[in-house]
Amino acid sequence: MASVTINNVRKSYGKTEVVHGVSLDIKDGAFVVLLGPSGCGKSTLLRVIAGLEPITSGDISIGGTVVNTLHPKDRNIAMVFQNYALYAHMTVYDNMAFSMQLKKLPKDEIKKKVDWAASILNLTPYLDRQPKQLSGGQRQRVAMGRAIVRDPAVFLFDEPLSNLDAKLRVQMRTEIKELHHKLSTTVVYVTHDQIEAMTMADTIVVLRDGVIEQVGKPLEIYDHPANLFVAEFIGSPSMNILSGEVASENGVPVVQSNGIALPLPMSAKVAAGQKVKFGVRPEHLRPTLGGAGFPAKVSVVEPTGPEIHIYADVGTQEICAITQERLELAPGADIRLVPELSRIHLFDPASGQIIGT
Amino acid sequence: MQETFLQKRLRDLAAIGVVGIFMFPLFWWALTSFKPMSAIFDKDRVVFFDFVPTFVNYAVTLFGKNRGELAIDSGNTFATSGAGAYDSRPTLIDSLIVAIGSTAVTVILATLAAYALSRMQFRGRQGYLNWILSQRFMPPIAIIVPVVFMFHYLGLRDTRTGLIIVDTLINLPIAVLLLKSFFDDVPADVDEAAMIDGATRFQIFWRVVMPMVKGGIAATAVLCFVFSWTEFLLSLFLTNSIRTLPVKITTFVTSTGSEWGFISALGTSAIIPSFIFILLVQKQLVRGLTLGSLKE
Repeated sequence: MASVTINNVRKSYGKTEVVHGVSLDIKDGAFVVLLGPSGCGKSTLLRVIAGLEPITSGDISIGGTVVNTLHPKDRNIAMVFQNYALYAHMTVYDNMAFSMQLKKLPKDEIKKKVDWAASILNLTPYLDRQPKQLSGGQRQRVAMGRAIVRDPAVFLFDEPLSNLDAKLRVQMRTEIKELHHKLSTTVVYVTHDQIEAMTMADTIVVLRDGVIEQVGKPLEIYDHPANLFVAEFIGSPSMNILSGEVASENGVPVVQSNGIALPLPMSAKVAAGQKVKFGVRPEHLRPTLGGAGFPAKVSVVEPTGPEIHIYADVGTQEICAITQERLELAPGADIRLVPELSRIHLFDPASGQIIGT
Repeated sequence: MQETFLQKRLRDLAAIGVVGIFMFPLFWWALTSFKPMSAIFDKDRVVFFDFVPTFVNYAVTLFGKNRGELAIDSGNTFATSGAGAYDSRPTLIDSLIVAIGSTAVTVILATLAAYALSRMQFRGRQGYLNWILSQRFMPPIAIIVPVVFMFHYLGLRDTRTGLIIVDTLINLPIAVLLLKSFFDDVPADVDEAAMIDGATRFQIFWRVVMPMVKGGIAATAVLCFVFSWTEFLLSLFLTNSIRTLPVKITTFVTSTGSEWGFISALGTSAIIPSFIFILLVQKQLVRGLTLGSLKE
């Protein structure tokens, strides 16, 4: 077990810099998820921690030791790959035992460790099989078994669930989390799937184009996105963003957008005439059939079961509202949408940064 | 579209026909090797099965018997020539040594080179690959004269070592390129997983990646073996006393006539080592030849 410190790390391939000076503190025993769209540098960052790629500048320490030039095997880390990267010609047992066989540990010690890992991962009946005789989920567990027998200070996961089908993914998500509880080893986990990130992480690190956009607990990031990118990236359906200009209506600050006035809380730190982007999550838009709120025209209604997703046009822009009320709505219907004042986000259109409300 | 009974039968018939066309020469060759000379040279009819089978051709070529003695034993006084020239046992041994030797050397060198080309980034890698490929552009006959001189001065002319070297040279480029594609099919993550597990570069190669391309290695070995086993031109130019099978067989065509019986007997026997070799690696071979399409 160990903390991981990344200090102003840069990574270039030739002239292209893909990680631009990232700094991050990962506490001992934490489950940190690196989240971002493809090409944001999250996998590169993970490979840099693993030592599979050299860093261009900066420092990486694991457990207080700077590991910049250490070989991967000496960093006391274990990594689980997206495509499992199992040794196809070896049995499950040998896959897990390989690292210990290389260290020439005594056979009974190896067996004890493999049996222990297999029992944790429910792989005991499959130890004599070859990877090709296993299902996707089982293969993924073998890859994890190979990692845990090494008793590493840090687990690195590189999109481990993206090759699994949806149902199995949910199940493995829980298993990985349980495993983390059992072993309480530091985990750095890379994914582009925000649900995985939200459900598993203690801390989410949102990356874009090789830069950290925000670091925080899952709900913190969801409720208080630091900028427009995080706001739009996290959440599905994603946050409604409306461009407009601050005005005052009867002494109450509003945002004029698409011919409607969106109310703002009195505390909003904006001045009249200021251009802003107004953000509100679909579940914080309450649809009503009359009365308060701004008008919208229903275009699509998607009942998901627990809730109904309503897509509606406001001027030329489509926005989404989510309600648990059983509203009888047909496309073309006129509704009104009431934003929850305390859940409104305002962003500066130029920088994309949040403006206090 | 549902296949009708007739279509299915027609297709089977076509398949049998094609196989038949390809197999017939082999069959005819094998049949000829058991025929007495009178059946081979019957000018009035095509002899299929109405002859008394004889093993004279095999006895002479594979067991070094003297045809004169055999002929007298069997009451045939037609043939009289000596035996020594047709005894092909040394040829078989030479051919086996050369084919196995060059296959082994090729596969070892090519596997190492292919792994390096597949996995390691080094300056001039692409140029090196192109250079390897370019070695296949030139037909061997274009270099035969300089090679003969070089081998002569190096003392490699008329040696098995010389033949092994020259067959290896011809086989290496294709073997390297072929094996590289097999190595490319193994994801680099596997190397990295092993690296994290604490394996050295050589351990990764030897214990992890190479066993995963066994099929490809087997397929490559078969190609090399068959090439070396059937190689004619270079052997002809580079040897006098050492004779590989294809060269030896041509010596059965003499100024006094062609010994079709011996040619067919030796030709038929020559299939057997290749056949055994392919049988041995067959399990790997099928996987090797289909590896790309069966990626998990």
